[in-house]
Amino acid sequence: MAITKEVISQLHKILGDKSVLVSKADLTAFSYDATSNWQGMPEIVLFPTDISQISRILALADRNGVPVTARGAGTNLSGGSIPVFGGIVLCTARMNRIIEIDAANFTATVEAGVVLNDFNRELAKQNLFFPPDPQSFLAATIGGCVAENSGGPYGLKYGVFKHYLLGMKAVLASGEIISLGGKTIKNVTGYDLPLLICGSEGTLAVVTQATLKLLPMPEARQTVLAVFNDIITANAAVSRILSKGIRPAKTELIDNWIIRRIEESAPLGLPVEAEAILLFELDGATETVRMETEKVVQMCYDAGAADVRQARDKKEADNFWTARRMGFSAIYGNAPTAMAEDVTVPMDKLPELMERVKRIGEKNDIMIVTMGHAGDGNLHPCILTDKKNPEHYARAQKTAQEIFDAALELNGVISGEHGIGLEKKKYLKKAMSPEAIELLKKIKTVFDPNGILNPGKIWE
Amino acid sequence: MIDQKMKIDPDRCMKCGFCMSVCPVYDIDHIENHVARGRNVLVRMVRDGELSLEDDYRRCLYSCLLCRRCDAVCPANLSPAEITLGARNEVIEKKGMSWLQNIIYNGILSKRSMVARFVGLAGLIPGLSVKGGRPLRHLADMASFIPGALSLPKLSSRPLRKRVSAVTKPSAGVKEKGEVAVFPGCMYEYFLPDIGEDIIVSLAKAGFSVVLPEGLNCCGLSMHNAGDFKTSSLLASRNIEALASYDHVITGCATCGSALKDYHKWFSEEDPMYGRAVEFSKKVSDFSEFLVKHGFRAEGSSSEPMTVTYHDPCHLRLHQGVYEAPRELLSSIDGVKYVEMENADACCGLGGSFSIAHKEVSQAIQSKKMESIKNSGAQAVVTSCPGCMFYLAHGIRRNRLPVEVMHISRLTRGDNRID
Repeated sequence: MAITKEVISQLHKILGDKSVLVSKADLTAFSYDATSNWQGMPEIVLFPTDISQISRILALADRNGVPVTARGAGTNLSGGSIPVFGGIVLCTARMNRIIEIDAANFTATVEAGVVLNDFNRELAKQNLFFPPDPQSFLAATIGGCVAENSGGPYGLKYGVFKHYLLGMKAVLASGEIISLGGKTIKNVTGYDLPLLICGSEGTLAVVTQATLKLLPMPEARQTVLAVFNDIITANAAVSRILSKGIRPAKTELIDNWIIRRIEESAPLGLPVEAEAILLFELDGATETVRMETEKVVQMCYDAGAADVRQARDKKEADNFWTARRMGFSAIYGNAPTAMAEDVTVPMDKLPELMERVKRIGEKNDIMIVTMGHAGDGNLHPCILTDKKNPEHYARAQKTAQEIFDAALELNGVISGEHGIGLEKKKYLKKAMSPEAIELLKKIKTVFDPNGILNPGKIWE
Repeated sequence: MIDQKMKIDPDRCMKCGFCMSVCPVYDIDHIENHVARGRNVLVRMVRDGELSLEDDYRRCLYSCLLCRRCDAVCPANLSPAEITLGARNEVIEKKGMSWLQNIIYNGILSKRSMVARFVGLAGLIPGLSVKGGRPLRHLADMASFIPGALSLPKLSSRPLRKRVSAVTKPSAGVKEKGEVAVFPGCMYEYFLPDIGEDIIVSLAKAGFSVVLPEGLNCCGLSMHNAGDFKTSSLLASRNIEALASYDHVITGCATCGSALKDYHKWFSEEDPMYGRAVEFSKKVSDFSEFLVKHGFRAEGSSSEPMTVTYHDPCHLRLHQGVYEAPRELLSSIDGVKYVEMENADACCGLGGSFSIAHKEVSQAIQSKKMESIKNSGAQAVVTSCPGCMFYLAHGIRRNRLPVEVMHISRLTRGDNRID
């Protein structure tokens, strides 16, 4: 339903003109996320600055049946923040206050629009650390991360967003404001509602504030880069390291294609002949890190690494990690359309999944570039295609479908960290039983009876 | 390899959002089409006929400071700044310029000193001028400042050319090191000639014979940034011509420096000027960059030690990659205690006409800078750009800070200053 003039004028009254955008050029800028093939125009973009405004906006939208899609920085990779049914984009980016850093209790309370990287910079001043690290952390907001249950390379050792979420403030579709959870690590008071909202992709409530668990900053960090002549050996090295009881903070894998692109666009001195690179970060007490580094280096050589380097200093370590982060960008920058998948399998099935992905690509004659979190079984096979070429694009979609099938056959999941959003909703039926999907829908109805919150996402 | 054409292909933007983490404008207003990611999408849609050159599109194009922070972080190696400039040029080609831009740009092209005099005279009219003038980077910025603020900078009664001779000999007793030409730009020529003098005297003290060449014009950056490539390349040609016989061209204006060093990008490779522009750009140095390269040591000062901090102009740090040199210079001066402020390379918020068109955002950026300056505890904030100087001074007045703003050449010149 199109938004009425009356509703628009009331929204102006709630927020003031400076927090409302309606021109086509403005709306367009909130019609996409970080995926390359989805777009949907909102009818109005709102920048609330406090929770009571959000409450009034939602109550108004609910009464009038106007869709509301909450959005932080829009750096998500699922189509999840795209307003496919128009209506309101509710951008929380201007709610960016860090309300409290409670060093004594190792918690922090922040507004939804706080940028993850800014948050960690503030924490570092007090020697504190918040591990979940989606690779969009430079721009991604905490609200978006909670809604998407984001994670990144630190996942293996430190877990993802949901492992740090102690409490939240949120607004229901009706406009009701709810406070959930608290500041304690242990809390079994009724159903764990913060965890239900975490990862719900903005379909259950609008998160306005989160209370998060913090860790002390590790005393030492060491980055190790290991070069392998084939991907299978690289994976064998990871299994060996993990089975010896070492938990690297990060264990990342990048393949030859990405190594070459990185070296072309911003040379970091990576070996361009290598089939695969593993990038480890070890962290903890200085002595432990030193010992574990030695073991990791040795075990990589034992598994057949061609070369293993320890980052000489922080600068070199940063360079290596920048290369990893640039991986996705390198992919997108070199293909008209890139489908960044994020299938995840039990750790020991990863080599088999990679083998299968390779075969699927060859069979369909589609270029697949691979990077991923080798330690936790989360793989990012990126399918390079061009959506303007229907024949090629159809083959690419078939390729994606086959990769999902492979992951499911290996007891894995179709998305480890990006979420379902629009990108994978047609595959949900394969990944969840009809009963389970029915349960999702019923939960949705309880939270949002009129279906105004981020409609059109997760299931078909 | 990534070539120039790929650098300006908005299709290659993957919307990763890295630009959002460094954009001073997005940091304040969080409006997506004020940051590279959003603008890239709009430029692409206009190209594909999905969006017209409506007013809001133009607002988005001109909401950019052109600081080039996004260029520096883009993992796809795009230059969003060049994309924006290209789009501005397209708008001007299709829609033309404002009448005021036409008058002022053409005036500068044909008779720059007269424009300066006119501005100066107008500035004498009560109510039209404020003490010290409003922030201004170039004469050409008038085109947006006049309707925006109706307040003009004070024209100096004697332009630089009337204050110094055409050639300033190396100071007595120093080893002679050769000849350099100074490019003063509009600001040091007409509005802040004392800084022009400080620059020339400093270079003479460093052992150089300093020429103030005839026939120089505005560097053209304002016109180029507005999208008027025709005027800017004409100005570039004239300056290249006027400076043809010199091996070293020195400027103490970060903005002019960024233009002069970029002249080769202002001509297509087919243009007969291209080759000359490439050669020309190589001989341009920023003032501090040049002095450090030639081992300049400032004379000791007898006065009380002064605590100073340095503000990095975007046009120096990001456009020219000059970062260490001014710090080295300042740290080497006796009687100067250098302290680094937090976020020294954060933008001052001016961005030429940006500060008028987007006053609130501009002043919010400025306020962050003021906070850093205040926390540094410095008595003076030193910089290398007249635009930054004006805007820092404006912020300091607004915030009532006990801090002086000065150009780096005032300190390198030392004590023997005759005011």
